[in-house]
Amino acid sequence: MADIVARNVRKIYNPDKRYPVLAIDEVSLEVRENEFVAIVGPSGCGKSTLLYMVAGFLDLTAGEIKVNGKPVEAPGPDRGIVFQHFALFPWKTVLRNVTYGLEEQKIPKAEREKIARKHIDMVKLTGFEHHYPSQLSGGMKQRVAIARTLAFDPEVLLMDEPFGALDAQTRGVMQEELLSIWSKRKKTVLFVTHDVREAVYLADRVVIMTARPGRIKEIVDTKFAGYKSTEEVLESAAFAQKTHQIWKSVREEVDKAGPLDG
Amino acid sequence: MTTDVSNLGGRQAGGALAVELTGLEGLKLPRKSWFPRSTVIRVLSPLILLVAWELIVRIGKVGEIFLPPPLSVLRVFVRLTADGTLPYAIWMSFLRTGQGFLYGSLLGIIVGLFVGWSQIIEDIVDPLVAAIYPIPKSALFPLFMLWFGLGDPSKVVTILVGVLFLVLINTVTGVKTLNPILIRAARDLGASERQIFLKVVLPGALPNIFTGLRLGAGIALILVFVTELEATNSGLGYLLWESYQLMLVQQMFACIITFGILGILSTWFIQWLEKVLCPWSTTVTRQ
Repeated sequence: MADIVARNVRKIYNPDKRYPVLAIDEVSLEVRENEFVAIVGPSGCGKSTLLYMVAGFLDLTAGEIKVNGKPVEAPGPDRGIVFQHFALFPWKTVLRNVTYGLEEQKIPKAEREKIARKHIDMVKLTGFEHHYPSQLSGGMKQRVAIARTLAFDPEVLLMDEPFGALDAQTRGVMQEELLSIWSKRKKTVLFVTHDVREAVYLADRVVIMTARPGRIKEIVDTKFAGYKSTEEVLESAAFAQKTHQIWKSVREEVDKAGPLDG
Repeated sequence: MTTDVSNLGGRQAGGALAVELTGLEGLKLPRKSWFPRSTVIRVLSPLILLVAWELIVRIGKVGEIFLPPPLSVLRVFVRLTADGTLPYAIWMSFLRTGQGFLYGSLLGIIVGLFVGWSQIIEDIVDPLVAAIYPIPKSALFPLFMLWFGLGDPSKVVTILVGVLFLVLINTVTGVKTLNPILIRAARDLGASERQIFLKVVLPGALPNIFTGLRLGAGIALILVFVTELEATNSGLGYLLWESYQLMLVQQMFACIITFGILGILSTWFIQWLEKVLCPWSTTVTRQ
């Protein structure tokens, strides 16, 4: 069981300096086991801050975050992150990038390679094991990053605008692949994005955050049951209605944030 | 600093241009058909210069004492090689340069990694580097002779110091410009601080370290020449200086050309090492 519970979380950047910034305030959120939750909101609303606090990279100013019932103190192998800019090690081949996380967990070499190859195959990159990241396209790099994170089998997947740097076509393909991987290997997912459509399409619930200081404005249920295919979901009236509703809600916050915060 | 500096490392403009083109493979630029012609021109250009040189001297417009004809230089070059004079001079210079370069770069890499990684160490080392780096290293040679005597150690130390600073500064740049997200990613994947240092910071800084090594190899050759002008009777610098004093012009040219060859060989060696140690580096994929 791997759930995320955030209670009354507050984050102030530069608290001791002249211009402290209240990034997020009074954020309480529960993500259930194997649930896919997306966070949307205007730029600078603190959605990535929240994600990095769950990851254990940032301290909380107030409140608490528990993963699996345990308070978060530092990064750990129970949580895997996929960064927007891939964060692949340029000096490692695709295979070595994917085995890296397993190496740190002292898994024997033969076993590591087996697991890595399985995950490289899962993200459809078989044949590219010995390529360096600089020899891959953006979409391929992000697939490697996803394989690397999934390979060490974290219970929670934290994704920080993972498809934000990709072109529209690649993004569409990657979204579908992520869903198909996720349906085979259920995980608790917290997914930060700018793209409302992406959030509605991927997530079970979409959390909308306010302009800074980021608070939770509303949470919208976006599970679409009873459709046979992706196209059917995307073309349905329910999908369009939800997307529009969330887009309008985010738009209000973007307007509040004003031009300087954009 | 890193980008303009890497251009000094002996990369030719033509090579760099060819790289920009690889990103546009689909565009069918008329590059292929130009290639043989370009090669022919590149071979012809120095040959024509040599022929012109030979002719000018033969016609007698320039005195042989200033500009010996290329063929006579070649003859002296062959003779000096055959009788062992040149190989011995090269070997002595190589020992001094090699030791200075090896110790200087090892020290530069190690100190540079720590300076880039730790704020306290940076605060300690940075003012020292800022104070010593602007001094021409050849100006330190007399001081080192005073401290280490007239033998080889003072020469080796001068070269060491010259190489050290260039490698150190570039290593620090390499660590500092490392994408912090890679360190985050490693930490997320479970790496300890020590492992991050060895497996992320070190390989991440390697391309910049090689920039430092390329520059260091250049300065090492300059410094071996300067330090061999004094207090020795061996080495290529000594041989060149002696040729000047005895007015052996062909021998001077032979020594200058040998220095040029050593420069090219050291560049090739470092390029090869970079290819072996960091095959992912963009400077390698550009070669």
